[in-house]
Amino acid sequence: MTFQPKIVGFLCNWCSYTGADLAGTSRIHYAPNVRIIRVMCSARIDPTFVLKALHDGADGVLICGCHPGDCHYSEGNYKMMRRYPLLKSLLADYGIEQERVRLEWVSASEGQRFADIVNDMTERVRALGPSPVKAALEADLAER
Amino acid sequence: MDDLKIGVFVCNCGTNIAKIIDCDAVIDSVERLPYVAVARTYKYMCSDPGQDMIQADIEEYGLDRVVVAACSPRMHEPTFRKALQKAGLNPYFLEMANIREQCSWVHDDPVAATEKAAALTAAAVMRVAHHEALERRSVDMCPNTLVMGGGIAGMSAALDLADAGNRVYLAERSDHLGGNVARTDLTAPYLDSARDMLTERITRVVEHPNIDVLLESQVRKVDGFVGNFQTTIRGKADDGAPTDTVYDVGSVVVCTGYKEFDASRITHYGYGKLPNVVTSFEFEKMLRAGRVTTKEGKAPQYVAIIHCVGSRNLEFHAYCSRVCCMTALKYAHEVKSAVPGAYVSDIYIDMHAFGKGMEDFYRRSSEIKTLFLMYEKNDYPVIRKADATDDCDMLIEVNEILSGETIEMPADLVVLMVGMEAREDSEEVAHLVNISRDKDGWFIESHPKLDPVATTTDGVYIAGACQAPKDIPDSVAQARAAAARILARTARGKIEIDAVFSEVDEDKCSGCRMCNELCPYVAIEFDAEKRRSHVISALCKACGACVAACPSGAITARHFTDKQIFAELEGVLA
Amino acid sequence: MAIRANPKLITELEIYGAQDVSKCYHCGNCSATCPFSKEPYIFPRRSMRSLQMGLEAKLESDLEPWLCYYCGECSTECPRDAQPGETMMSLRRWLTARYDFTGIARLFYLSAKAEILAVILVALIAGAGFLLYGFSQGDITQYGGPDAFLPAASVHIFDWTLAVVLLALLGTNCARMWWFTVGRDTKVHVPLSAYVRKIYLLPMHFFTQMRYAKCEQKRPWVLHLVLMLSYVTMLILIMFFLESMWSGPAVNWSVHAFGLAATAGLLVTTIVFLRKRLKKSEVQYQQSHETDWMFLVLLIVVAATGLLQFTLHRLGLNTAANINYVIHMMAVVPMLLLEVPFSKWSHMAYRPLAMYFADLKAEAMVSTEREPVRAPQAA
Repeated sequence: MTFQPKIVGFLCNWCSYTGADLAGTSRIHYAPNVRIIRVMCSARIDPTFVLKALHDGADGVLICGCHPGDCHYSEGNYKMMRRYPLLKSLLADYGIEQERVRLEWVSASEGQRFADIVNDMTERVRALGPSPVKAALEADLAER
Repeated sequence: MDDLKIGVFVCNCGTNIAKIIDCDAVIDSVERLPYVAVARTYKYMCSDPGQDMIQADIEEYGLDRVVVAACSPRMHEPTFRKALQKAGLNPYFLEMANIREQCSWVHDDPVAATEKAAALTAAAVMRVAHHEALERRSVDMCPNTLVMGGGIAGMSAALDLADAGNRVYLAERSDHLGGNVARTDLTAPYLDSARDMLTERITRVVEHPNIDVLLESQVRKVDGFVGNFQTTIRGKADDGAPTDTVYDVGSVVVCTGYKEFDASRITHYGYGKLPNVVTSFEFEKMLRAGRVTTKEGKAPQYVAIIHCVGSRNLEFHAYCSRVCCMTALKYAHEVKSAVPGAYVSDIYIDMHAFGKGMEDFYRRSSEIKTLFLMYEKNDYPVIRKADATDDCDMLIEVNEILSGETIEMPADLVVLMVGMEAREDSEEVAHLVNISRDKDGWFIESHPKLDPVATTTDGVYIAGACQAPKDIPDSVAQARAAAARILARTARGKIEIDAVFSEVDEDKCSGCRMCNELCPYVAIEFDAEKRRSHVISALCKACGACVAACPSGAITARHFTDKQIFAELEGVLA
Repeated sequence: MAIRANPKLITELEIYGAQDVSKCYHCGNCSATCPFSKEPYIFPRRSMRSLQMGLEAKLESDLEPWLCYYCGECSTECPRDAQPGETMMSLRRWLTARYDFTGIARLFYLSAKAEILAVILVALIAGAGFLLYGFSQGDITQYGGPDAFLPAASVHIFDWTLAVVLLALLGTNCARMWWFTVGRDTKVHVPLSAYVRKIYLLPMHFFTQMRYAKCEQKRPWVLHLVLMLSYVTMLILIMFFLESMWSGPAVNWSVHAFGLAATAGLLVTTIVFLRKRLKKSEVQYQQSHETDWMFLVLLIVVAATGLLQFTLHRLGLNTAANINYVIHMMAVVPMLLLEVPFSKWSHMAYRPLAMYFADLKAEAMVSTEREPVRAPQAA
């Protein structure tokens, strides 16, 4: 049985969520491993969301926003852009592989691009295997 | 929360969802979730019987929350919110799970798709339990409108709005009205005069008491929100110095039009090198002057028209510019009447004669003995100068498909049908009014089929060629549609805006003021006395930037709270 | 190598009858519906295209116009009313003009007046000639015998001279046709043996018109076959049995039976065709060129005066018979001298030749395809 990674996607309402919808209306198929959660803007995404997702069993987290310059709220994606390197270095400290968390810019007309990103990410995370967080939590539980 | 009752409704959407997703299996899996009082499927949830079913269940089971697993919330969230409202439930007690656009339509494995649908529905169930009742706010709707662009679309929108008694500010960058139609002589397919059409429009616009025509004016800023925009327009004062004026408007209609493709980018047509190769707009100039001649001043014996210059071309623009085919036929007719003995050849890929009267126009163009030569996409004709001994100025080599031969067509004058492109200032305009552009630079509409004039920014509408290449009838239709949308709102005097905004819990706020600088709408003010930050709800657009940044966790994004998102995560990863 | 298009050609072809060809937008319905359109000869669309673009050299070398029998199905099916049937007919007229090296055919097709004038001129010269000859050596009241106004033997010599001239003219035209359609085609080479092997096709097509029989409607084939066989019968009788035909006034049934049958055939079919053209009863008769009328009118005059000849001779009205014969020849001579090499009647040679050449070329094309074009790659 091939390992099926569970990936959580945080998509901003205006660009990337609409782009994902466009992939749908265009019937562009992609891997079923991403579960999407809608936020109004990528700026809303607290780093704790990413950590919570990993804690709850996600093997990967995908964050999508509007292309820089095109944010519906003017600069929200820049804020995400600033938080992201800090988040990544935190993950590195925890020993979580970099490829598990990914930030991509997807516009409302980029249905195909969204599908390509999901497929690519699914394969990369699949290659990494199940998230080490799950194993660590189980081990921790077993110890107690 | 113990007595919470959640109703779950899974839509089949005909076969759109049911074909791939086992809706009954989804029902089975969500029934086990806490607080789920009823779970059922139906063919078309958005239909009247579907909505009646939801309302009936709300009454019968005393439901507090409703989950609808169906299409994208961008499609029907308002529909279902209304259904809840009718049944006496706060509309924000609804959560939708997108199991169509983001599930059944994009996956082909029924098992995986059903599993995902169940997870998304569970997430919605877990989230909705934390929803709070929110009230929509009602704000005044300013009846004024800013129309950006004084072309045929802009003027048409302005007239409808002004005729209904509303003030319109028509801002035009250049020094005249009429846009690209003013550069045209006649129009296809009935060969009406563009000038007559425009004169009627321009006269009415200029004389209309409700329209302020602002020529040589540029929109510099658009602040505010729907019903309450403040726009700064830079015009010219009497002494010629630039001067900024602020206008209050309730809506904005963007009608900035298009620009034409630069034909010199295609070298094998020789534009810019061969003097008798001209663009369609240059040809219009000749037609308006009433003289169709070569650069040397002679009447051309052979005229060739080439379609798809810069359009339908992967190297430049993959899209079709829509109007050029019929315009080319218009030129065939105009050449034949200006130079009766001339031989006209029309060199095309496909003949797009889609509209009213167009197929007939195509047939009539054949009847006047236009020679149609078909070439294949990516196998372009090449123009070269003919020998001095030849009876023509240039020869066009075409791999002609209808005959299967490679031929050389004589031409004394070649007209290149250059395509439409997004204007260079379209990026600037998009940022001004906060709308998006697609990969070709055209402004994006709310929904390509069902909502072609609204945009993602409430109160801002787009009309005409700036949205996508189109002809005059469609531009006018869109412009008048935008006007109608605006009038529907101004007629009410007030509009409802979303109840979603962020608020600061003053007990938790430490007064660090980190949020103040983050807000792009300057919606957070600092109360120096209380030493607390406070969100001005009327200005807040609920992006959530401040929420994520607050180190004290003092700001809550209504309807997108941490608790709600965490619950959603649990549901999705269960 | 790019072929130079000549958009002016169509202006000339309009006079030949192709006024509607510009309307064709190449849907291909006509070629799809044509019962004869088959690889490698697909028509009429391809021919219409070559004409629209003015590819003269290509049109000149095409056999397709002769493979068409104008059943009119294509014109019926055409959604743009581009008249493909009539276009093929006008191409036949144009080719007739092209095969002729003298330029007289072109003159006739482009100017109805020229043809009428030529016919009248030749008729008058023939009439004058015969009268002069008659008066110079005979008695107008004498039909047969030593003082015959127009002795059969002399007429016989005249007829054969005329035949030789005709054959020479028609022969050169046919040679030119061969050159245009087969000879100068560098892509297809027909070996001499094939010409010999398939020579039977010429008389076969000429006498049976069997291809015409394959059209959906059978009646046109029947009518045309009767007309043609009637004419051929008359031709044989006159060329080889003139003295027997001339005998009388008693009826010489062994020849006169054939003569009468042939004349009846000619009269009936010509009248039927004239009526169809006048009434525009079917698609193929809706548009008539001046050359179409001239051909039928001359034929009917020839047949009618021929029958009258027979009648007058039986009745012993010698003077009337002689005068009628002069009138008969005033119709026959222009019909043969002008119609056969320079106008519509030339199709009697071009059509069977086209069948023959088409068969030869098709066979040659297949065998060319079977041979490898390049040497196979080294393993």
